[in-house]
Amino acid sequence: MTQASATGRAHAIRLRLRRRPKVLTLFVWGYIVWSLAPALIAIAFSFNSGKSRSIWQGLSLRWWTDGPGSMLHNDVFRGALEHSFTLAVLNVLIAVPLGIGLAITLSRWFGRGSGAVSLLATMTLVVPELVLAISLFLLFTQLLDIVELGTMAQVIGQVTFTLPFVVVITRGRMSSISTDLEEAAMDLGCSPLQALRLVLVPLLQPAIVASVVIAFALSIDDFVVTQYLSSDASTQTVPMLIYNTARGSATPALNATATVLVVVTALLVALGGLLYYALSRRQRLGAAE
Amino acid sequence: MAGGEVRLAKLVKAFDEVTVVDGIDLHMPGGEFFSLLGPSGCGKTTTLRMIAGFEQPTSGEILLDGKNVALTPPHKRNVNTVFQGYALFPHLSVFDNVAFGLRRQGTPRAEVRRRVNEALAMVHMEAFAKRRPAQMSGGQQQRVALARALVLKPAVLLLDEPLGALDAKLRKILQIELKALQQEVGITFIYVTHDQEEALTMSDRIAVMHEGRVEQVAPPEVVYEEPSTTFVADFLGTSNVIHAVATQATASGCEVRVGEFELTAGRGAIDARGETKIAIRPERVTLEPHGSTGPNRLAGMVERVVYLGNANQIIVRLPTGEALQALVQNTGEKLAYEQGDPVRAHLPAEALRVLADTGAAEIEEQAAAAA
Repeated sequence: MTQASATGRAHAIRLRLRRRPKVLTLFVWGYIVWSLAPALIAIAFSFNSGKSRSIWQGLSLRWWTDGPGSMLHNDVFRGALEHSFTLAVLNVLIAVPLGIGLAITLSRWFGRGSGAVSLLATMTLVVPELVLAISLFLLFTQLLDIVELGTMAQVIGQVTFTLPFVVVITRGRMSSISTDLEEAAMDLGCSPLQALRLVLVPLLQPAIVASVVIAFALSIDDFVVTQYLSSDASTQTVPMLIYNTARGSATPALNATATVLVVVTALLVALGGLLYYALSRRQRLGAAE
Repeated sequence: MAGGEVRLAKLVKAFDEVTVVDGIDLHMPGGEFFSLLGPSGCGKTTTLRMIAGFEQPTSGEILLDGKNVALTPPHKRNVNTVFQGYALFPHLSVFDNVAFGLRRQGTPRAEVRRRVNEALAMVHMEAFAKRRPAQMSGGQQQRVALARALVLKPAVLLLDEPLGALDAKLRKILQIELKALQQEVGITFIYVTHDQEEALTMSDRIAVMHEGRVEQVAPPEVVYEEPSTTFVADFLGTSNVIHAVATQATASGCEVRVGEFELTAGRGAIDARGETKIAIRPERVTLEPHGSTGPNRLAGMVERVVYLGNANQIIVRLPTGEALQALVQNTGEKLAYEQGDPVRAHLPAEALRVLADTGAAEIEEQAAAAA
């Protein structure tokens, strides 16, 4: 065999190898379309001019702001949106600081050998949500009189299942922060608490951003716990609203309400992603080139 | 600057069942460049961390200018540390890193600026004030770490293998700079290293540590020329350590027997008797042709010749089965010995040491006498 034909063959093999992933690429795009299409179709129908949520009759803002049946003029829809966002914000404000505190305590004061404690603290990750919802419901209705069903119970429930996510995210980041940095801070005159505030917390910023996004999204998305711990119509969230009305005579105003939720959450995730990227670039830990 | 005297008394540190530092006594007068030298796991870093306050001793005292600080938290001690991995804060600029300690003390803004610039100038890093740690090389980060610790004007500066991560050439340059810097600021430096060359180049005195204990404390030339234990002789450069039997005292030292040969050892524990070890540096061994006579000579056979560039390393097998290394300077002439040649090795009495593998107390005494 001549050398020229040998290189020709090698080239052909390389080409074949490079061509093969096309099947995979197709699969990836297929999946993306499959998973997004229903949401996109639902969003599109919120702009339908007719009452139908499946037959397109023309473009209008009738279900958004204009008509009497629009989302803007429907107190139930507006209330559900408001309540969804209220719960999400409260969940972020409570679960993120608590989870970060828990993570710091677990990694710094219990040491690395704290397997059992860590496992317990992240247990709710694997407990079926329905089990958690029912046990919290029984707890609040039978044992703990102070907590009434409604916003307070819903927030406690959501914080309970959000905490482990925040802990896992934060501990991941902490494992890349050398304890030398905190020791250096103390060496330079910080008390242990000051070292935490001035060195550890700033370095945890990417984890904090990621936790905020996750906590917000988990809250917005939640149905089981939030449903079980609700009291009346005033504590109805958008997912509950959709569940309760979607099978009945729903109008495209419901689609409009859901769209607000999707768009706000997507924007927040995108913003969080950008911020996370920027922060982790800025704080490349150690590593000199 | 006055002060900076450190005294360690019966210092012990045990982690669970393992005793890492096993009762060390050391005294570093103010302004000294003192090195803790030893292999990894010898307890040198733990000792340093106890002086810094990151570890609490299991027992014993740490006296800083006469005051026991063994239980004082790190932020209340007038000592600062340069960490092995530099530990610069990645979220802060060079300026803010160096200003960090001053700001904790509530130093006025203008003074912070002045002192930070001074400290950066001292390590030639003024031009880098706005950089972040990740945008600098290892050597540059090391200089900033030094400035960050020195700007607080501590009584004692602790350095934990600060040059460990740098390449050989840069290490040499920084060794010289560090020594000059220490003489300029005049404070006590306690320097932890496993690199004997580093310790020998910079230190006023060296404590050689082994398994949590101090083997010898002495100035560099004494630890190198007159190691008092087998471990020290072995750890500091290559040394020939040979089994011998000490028989009697002579006018010029101690008579020792190696196989059938009698030698006089003029240094070390010359009052030792019975089974012992003798040591000599390869560069002090001279080789002579077979048949040459005179005192302090051993017969042997050239086993291997290794070309080192500036010298030839010749391994001579002794009749006792032990190997003896001789270092012959490369003068440009052809080497007189080849593999398999019988030779005579001359071990001058004034370079031959009897090693004392005795307790640390005696060694301390010796060191005190030498100093």
